Parts: sequence; C-alpha cells; structure tokens
Amino acid sequence: MTAPQPAIQTVLLSKSFGLRPVLHDLNLTIPAGQCVGLLGVNGAGKTTLLRCLASLTRPTSGSVHWFGEAAADKPQSRRLIGMVGHESRVYPQLSLRENLVFAARMYGVHQPESRADHLLQDVGLAARASAKPREISRGMQQRIALARALVHNPPILLLDEPFAGLDAHGSEWLVRMIDSLRNEGHAVCFTSHDLAVTQQLADVVYELRSSRLEKVRFYGPNLMMRAAA
Amino acid sequence: MNKVWWVLQKDLVAEFRSLRVWPSMLLLGVVVAMVFGLQMDLLPQQKQRLVGGMLWLAVFFAGMAAIERSFSAERDDACWDGLRLFPVDLSLVFWSKWICNTIALSALEVVLFPLFFALSHVSLLAHPAELLLVTMLGNLGLSAVGTLVSALATSIGRGGNLLMAVVLPLATPVILAAAEATRMIAEDALNQTFWRWVQLLLAFAVVFVTVGTLLFPAAVED
Amino acid sequence: MSLRNRLHAACGLSAIAFVAVAVWMAACIAPTEQSMGDIQRVLYVHVSVAWLGLCGFAVMAVSGVGYLLTRNLRFDHWFQSAGELGWITSGLTLATGSIWAHEAWGTWWEWEPRLTASFVLWLIYCAILLVRGSLDDPHQRARIGGVLGVMGAADLPLVMMATRWFRGMHPVSPQMDPLMRWTLLVNVLAFTALFAWLITERRKQLRFRQSNDDLQRTLIGRMKCSHS
Repeated sequence: MTAPQPAIQTVLLSKSFGLRPVLHDLNLTIPAGQCVGLLGVNGAGKTTLLRCLASLTRPTSGSVHWFGEAAADKPQSRRLIGMVGHESRVYPQLSLRENLVFAARMYGVHQPESRADHLLQDVGLAARASAKPREISRGMQQRIALARALVHNPPILLLDEPFAGLDAHGSEWLVRMIDSLRNEGHAVCFTSHDLAVTQQLADVVYELRSSRLEKVRFYGPNLMMRAAA
Repeated sequence: MNKVWWVLQKDLVAEFRSLRVWPSMLLLGVVVAMVFGLQMDLLPQQKQRLVGGMLWLAVFFAGMAAIERSFSAERDDACWDGLRLFPVDLSLVFWSKWICNTIALSALEVVLFPLFFALSHVSLLAHPAELLLVTMLGNLGLSAVGTLVSALATSIGRGGNLLMAVVLPLATPVILAAAEATRMIAEDALNQTFWRWVQLLLAFAVVFVTVGTLLFPAAVED
Repeated sequence: MSLRNRLHAACGLSAIAFVAVAVWMAACIAPTEQSMGDIQRVLYVHVSVAWLGLCGFAVMAVSGVGYLLTRNLRFDHWFQSAGELGWITSGLTLATGSIWAHEAWGTWWEWEPRLTASFVLWLIYCAILLVRGSLDDPHQRARIGGVLGVMGAADLPLVMMATRWFRGMHPVSPQMDPLMRWTLLVNVLAFTALFAWLITERRKQLRFRQSNDDLQRTLIGRMKCSHS
C-alpha cells in the first residue's frame, strides 16, 4: 500500500517580483489533518506563499501539488482549496445569505440554499442572514469569510491572518473552529503574528525569513528556537 | 452554462442595488451627445454624414467608462480572488461579463439614439432592422474588446489605467465599421458596401469573442 | 570572437550590403516613372517596410501565443524585438507613403481604407509598447503583451484586404516595367534580410539583460541568506 498523498506539497517553489526574490526554493509538505502555522515579519512573503499554495499566484519556478496533482492544472481541482484572505471576498451589494448561495452555486454544491442556511447557523450568523457585509462588525466579517471558504467543504483550508482584528472572544471561537476542522481531517495552513495562538493551535510552526522557511520549536511561552526546515 | 447565468445575475443585481456604474455611464453619454449636438449646426445633408461617427464615438467613450469598471466591483474586498478560486473554467466568467457589458451598451444606446435623433433630426429609423443589426454586432464586438482589456487592467492593479488607452486603437475597426454602416443607414444607401461593413462587424465580433474566450484565463492571472 | 559571433557579424554585414545594392538599384537602375518622376522611387522602400510592418506584428502575435502556452521568457524577447522593429517599419510605411501620396494624389494624407487600417496598426504598436514599458515584472509584461498582441493581430487581415474589400485610392499591384518589378523584389528581400538580422540582434541583447537580472536576483537571494 502506498502512503497517502500529502494535501499540499511544494517542490522548489520560488517567487520573485522583478528583481526582488520573495520565496526561494521552498519545500513544504502538509499532510491531511495537520495544522501548520506560518510566522514572519510584515513583508516576509507569507501572503505570497499562501497565494501560491492556492494557485492564485503563479510561481516563478517550482511547483505546488494538491494531493499529488499539479495545482491549477484543471479548474475542477480548485475545488480542493478553501481560502480566507485579508479581505472577506463577499460582495458588498449582496446579503450574507445571497453571497453564500452564489458561492455554493459556483462550486456546484447540492441544494445551495440549505447549505447556506446551514453554514450561517454554524458560524453563528443566522440572525443576520439578510444583512449586507458592510453593516456587520469585523468579527462577523471574519465569520462570513470563513463560511464563504467552507461552502464546498474543501479538504485544504488556507487562512491569511485570520486572527487580525479579532477580540479575545472572536479568536477563541476561531481557534475552536479551526481545531475541529483539523480533527475532521482538513489540512489547515494559517499565517499569524500572534505567537500564543500559533503555539496553541498549530501542530507544526514555520517562520518565513529571508525567503526561506525555518522550523520553529516552542519551549514554554514565547520562547522559541529555529532550525532550518 | 448555468454558471454564466449565476455570475451575470449576481452582477446585474449588484449593479441595480448600488447604481454605481450605469447612471454615470448614461450621464456621460448624454453630455457627449450634447457637446456633439452643439457642434452640429450644419445643413441636413452634412448632419447625415456626421451622425454615425458621433453616435458611435459617444457610445464608445461612455460605454468604455462603464466597461472599465465592470471588474472594479470584483476588486473590492478581493472578490476577484474568490472568483478565480471557483472550480469553473474562467472563460465562462468572460462570457458573463461580456454579456453584462453588452447589455450595458444596449441600455446606453436606448438613451442615445433618440437623443441624437432629437438633436440632429436625422432619421435613423428608416431601416430599423438594419440599424438593430449594426448596433447589436457593434455592441458585441466593443464589449468583447472592452471586457478583455479591462480584465487585463484589473489583473495588474494600479498600473492598469494606461491599459484603457489601448482599447481605442484595438476597437477602432469596430467603431469605424459601425459608424460607416450607421451613416449609410442615415443616408438611405444600403448598397453592397453597407453589407461589407456589416460583414466586417460580424467578423470582428466573432474574432474578439473567440480571442476573449481563449485568452481570458491568461488575462486574469496575478 | 567566437565563430558564431563572427558568423553573426558576417550575416549583418552582408544584409547591410544587400540593402545598399537594393537602394542603388532603386535609385539608379530602375527606370524613371513618367508621370511622377524620381519621387516614385520611394515606392521601393515603401512596399518593403509596409511588408515588414505586417511581418513584425505577425512575429509578435505568434511569440505572444508562444509565451502564453509555455511561459518561457525567450518568446517574450522575440515579442519585444519584433514589436520595436515593427513599430519603426510601420511608422516608416506611413512616412514614405505620405511622401508618395503627396506627389501622386496631391495630398499628404487621405482617410482611405488601407491608410486608415495601417494607421490603426501603428497606433496598436504604440499602445502595446507603451503599456509594456510601464510594467516592471517581466512575466507580467510578457503576459499583457501576449494578450494584446493576439487581439491586435485582428487588424492584420484588415490592412491586407482593405483594398479588396472596400474601394479605395490605394493602388493594388499595378502594371509595371519588368525592371521595376525586379528592383521591387530585390528591395523587399534586402530589407527583409536586414530586418531579420536586426530582430535577432535585439533579441540577443534582451536575452543578455534577462540573464543579468536572473544573476542579480540569485545574488540578492544569497546575500539575504548569509545575513540571517
């Protein structure tokens, strides 16, 4: 029996903008059911890496594989990816429910309306279903963004700074949510500045420094050691 | 094919709720028509010669202002990234946007044609079927060029403004052909040359839609 | 100098010599046209550069497709060099044509189907080169260029067929003295040879710049690494 394919695997992934190298020969593997945290200062390339993993940005060289299949080869394989970005990716003119129904239809989900209602229930926004995205708080926007990303139940979940701008209550909720997704077997990769949350949530933590990944081990709160990954 | 409709429906609903683009497009069209109208203090025959060109220039400038923004709504809140992650062939998205922009241009013409008629007293409706044909073909070609170029402009973000200057030369054959054909309708000269222009319009519409369908996925990359 | 470089230089020199012969034929060998006199001789250059203006665009569009299919920047070097030289020859076409028209038609410019289509082609060249010049990332530049090049190529058949589809003033293969015809042929061939040589030279230059950039990027990457 062959070993199961990792959810995400990058091979010598490099990305540069003009003369500036952002990512250099990264080899990252994320098996299903693992939660990976990505640390790094602003501008280290965390977002670029996440966008490469989602096939939103074409790498300069190297490749990304989802479950052993080259990413972005077929439009259908994008079904494997769910992503929460800096922004909510919901249309401001449509209500929360309409946004979810639209996304569900585009993903070809069976019974989009009931899926949308179900998700609104899950993220605790059922009462605000007909509100417009601009009318709700940052915490709720993060919830609708997550619901939007989960609409097709993707096996891979990428989150870019999901804890930014959330209060203690909100981030506690999000940690629980991500934790349960990981336990259901989703592969999760998130970026963060928050050492405590990262330490609590992630199975493996990397730091992106000088265009390369370094593995981070924690020894007690805020005490960490780096090693080349 | 359903998905073409879903995206189109989403765009139309969003536009009718926010009224961000169409009203300004119509206003711009009326202003351009008025400026042209002021310049047209001419003999009836001279007006007949001019009206086609002016009409289509007004359609082009007002229409491109709208088409240029057909992707800007996607840029807000990074909806664009969400759209690109859908497991659908992105060519379908091109079709939605293309149809939506064609509808926008048609709406613009519904306002502009009577206005030009009122301002110039040139009877455009002597051959309604031919006029409709020319207008539809012109719209299809123009919105295909506009959609593809504004997708390119959106994909490069801030540097994209310059790109809209490219639309004019690319769309010139379409505008010229539509203007000439409209002039011949106004002059009541539906001869062989008229049908040549119609053929040209058809050819450009087909070419631009084909190119758009094939190249759109490459045009929206990051 | 390596053998290859010498060969390249030899090709260039012979192309230039070929053009010199062609121009000499146009100026001294071809018979003087009766109604227009010596001005008519600009025609030999005009037809040659007009053909090359179209060729340049065709090369550009094909290499644009090549890039979009393979994402290899080598195609983009062809695109850029063909674009630049095509822009020059297309501009020269308008200039020489204008000189000819001034004698033949008594006007510098006429809004005639083929002239209009050629002018539009030149505008498209301008627009593509301008937009590309404003972009820094080579892959982005290549992608935008590729898409615009393919769209602009729709104008090529229009330039070629304009005289046939629409009645215009532009002459289409008129009766000519055999010697004139030979001179024209030699001119077209000579200018094409020079054009081809210039494109390959420019492409080589762009490729060197590319490898220079790659090298710089690698060095920056190394330096960042050793600092940390």
